[in-house]
Amino acid sequence: MRVYQFRHIRAGGQCSFGRYDRAVSVERLQGLLEQGFPDAEHVEVVDRTGGGDHFHVTVAAPVFEGLSLVEQHKLVYDVLAEPLADGTIHELRISTRGTG
Amino acid sequence: MSYSEKIREVIEGSDVALFMKGTPAFVMCGNSDRALKALRRAGAPVTAVDILPDPAIRQQLSALSGWPTIPQVFVKGELIGGADIVEELERTGELERTLTEKLGDAYRDGRAERVVQL
Repeated sequence: MRVYQFRHIRAGGQCSFGRYDRAVSVERLQGLLEQGFPDAEHVEVVDRTGGGDHFHVTVAAPVFEGLSLVEQHKLVYDVLAEPLADGTIHELRISTRGTG
Repeated sequence: MSYSEKIREVIEGSDVALFMKGTPAFVMCGNSDRALKALRRAGAPVTAVDILPDPAIRQQLSALSGWPTIPQVFVKGELIGGADIVEELERTGELERTLTEKLGDAYRDGRAERVVQL
């Protein structure tokens, strides 16, 4: 019984740490995207699973106008190169739209 | 032969190359599954490469393509995107248009899936 309670408390602690971590990740990606696309009309980062590592980012910016989807997504990958490389992002969905 | 050379060979030698986690018979990642299913719905003749056996495969693929994530889909040597783009192209009808344009009207005839090991 005691063992069960101990585990339960630890699981709770890990959950709240997860919550904190995830807020930091969303904020960090949001900041990078706003910095990388200063003219963007819309920047949105969604933590898809609540785990702080599966994200869906949406960016609507004039710079995408006239580019192929591959070129558009490459611009987003460039801006997020650091969190992609350091493991913050395990999975990334991207939606882009030109607003020129 | 290095992975880079083999990767280049698959990209340039296949009508539709899909670099994925796992194989079509045993897909190991949701996004690879999304790309595979969209390609299947479009009737694409897929040549699949599993990147999981060696991390160097993925590193050298990304260095070649400039695309950091898996899956990656190439049609006649040209990167058309990952799962998001392939689904988007399917939704707008552009996937079938691109396949027809690059592979000809009868591209569905060759739709059997191939798996290549690097």
